[in-house]
Amino acid sequence: MNLLEVSDLKKSYARGILGRKVQVLKGLSFSVPSGTVTGFLGANGAGKTTTMRCILGLDFPDSGKIQLFGEPLSIASKRRLGFLPERPYFYEHLTGHEFLEFYAQLTSSWKKSVLNDRIQELLRRVDLEFAKDRLLRNFSKGMLQKIGLAQALIHDPELVILDEPMSGLDPDGRLALADIILQIAKKGTAVFFTSHQLYDTERLCERLVVMKEGRSIYEGSTEALLDQSGQQFEISFLNRGVKETRRAQTQDQSQSEIKKLIQDGASILEVRRQRATLEEVFVQMALRGGKA
Amino acid sequence: MRPIWVLAKNTYKEVIRDRILYALLLFAVLLMGLSLALGQLSFAEQSRISANFGLSAIHLCAVVLAIFVGSNLVYKEIEKKTILTILARPISRTQFILGKSLGLALLITTMILGLALILCLVFWGLEVAVDARFFVVLLGLLGESLILLGFTLVFSMITKPLLVVCFSVGIFLIGHWQGSLAYFASRDTHGNLKPVSWFVRYFLPDLERLNWKDLILYDQPIDFPAKLGSLSYALVWFVLCICLSALIFKRRDVG
Repeated sequence: MNLLEVSDLKKSYARGILGRKVQVLKGLSFSVPSGTVTGFLGANGAGKTTTMRCILGLDFPDSGKIQLFGEPLSIASKRRLGFLPERPYFYEHLTGHEFLEFYAQLTSSWKKSVLNDRIQELLRRVDLEFAKDRLLRNFSKGMLQKIGLAQALIHDPELVILDEPMSGLDPDGRLALADIILQIAKKGTAVFFTSHQLYDTERLCERLVVMKEGRSIYEGSTEALLDQSGQQFEISFLNRGVKETRRAQTQDQSQSEIKKLIQDGASILEVRRQRATLEEVFVQMALRGGKA
Repeated sequence: MRPIWVLAKNTYKEVIRDRILYALLLFAVLLMGLSLALGQLSFAEQSRISANFGLSAIHLCAVVLAIFVGSNLVYKEIEKKTILTILARPISRTQFILGKSLGLALLITTMILGLALILCLVFWGLEVAVDARFFVVLLGLLGESLILLGFTLVFSMITKPLLVVCFSVGIFLIGHWQGSLAYFASRDTHGNLKPVSWFVRYFLPDLERLNWKDLILYDQPIDFPAKLGSLSYALVWFVLCICLSALIFKRRDVG
């Protein structure tokens, strides 16, 4: 079942003094199935954030259809949704505990004791128990990102939308955030997120939607994309006592290369299959104009 | 109703924890203190001078709070992008506007009551009796502040805070000078002022209808039906402005 379905989404903004229309989304379509971690990739300015804002009803699309949990965006469907914006800006006058309480009260009507337990649990999960009484204006960037994730999860949503959750985090922070995303995915919550950290995306996402200039250019499994995008074989061998390597693009090529090397008297040391990384594939697709 | 109340509480807390509010309160208290000093220059009029200064201080603070904080009420949320996580929650845009304006309206009420308490202490020190008229005057000040808050919200939906403040101060001035404008229009032989006066009379609020300081300053009796009518007038303007703000905000991109 698809939790989110976007079809033929178009959105333009008026820019400049003359209000010249710039079309950001040009007929974008994709879906997010339940229980998956889906990465949403695209170069800067491709329209990822605009798409998220349209999905959440923050901006209004010119045309197209957005279905959340099988229905158009409504108060009821928002109740099943969690969202962390890019570079989270929050109310600095609130403490960590007050902040989560505020968002929980906007979403659900829990009893005070249940709410406090839930807040404690989330603060523990994002490793911010020590900052529950600290004002948000005194939080570091990483702490803000973590408390932002906690507010997105406070009401136990079925779908979490994260816009650049890894942005500006140090390697430790990225690792911690990736672990939290994996944990919530294991519990069955679908995660849909954008990121420029392609190593993390490759590790976390089973599905990908890649967009370019306002349109989707790939939608499917991460594995299939990487497999489609080619592989190569690296042959290590000893030639008159010197270690050398050769590369072949296909399995047949590698077999014939190995045969030739053996005929020439070389000793084969190792044959390794190498696959392109998501970063290489993404650069090829989204930046240089290649096709998946 | 719940999200409106949660948002109102948060708005209240936000302004309460802001240093600007305390600067404003300090200014009001200093003005009241000054009234005591000035009052001593006049043996017979001390209580009247203190009452005038005290009520003017409350009036000024309430208006400044409504206009200056009101002008940033929604703009700051959009500029700082705090609105993104709020509107992604199960609340409507109308509830958002209602919550924010209710929060600030409650804060203005609290401030009026707080400063009124200080003024009561001044009156007590001067051995001046405080009666129902004092609270009726405060209600008038609250009514005026609500109207200005409403207009400020409408302006903040269409332009930036600096212009919003200018427009709202304009409404404040025109609102208090409607009588003078009507007088000059009636004396204008060319008739140029008449359409302006007509427009101001029918399309902008008459804030003098809520200026009841004379009840205390000149010891006048309360005309309850008239005061009730004026309070309803203020409430109608406030509700109209909130509805208009919500209507404009409903179709606005905030991302």
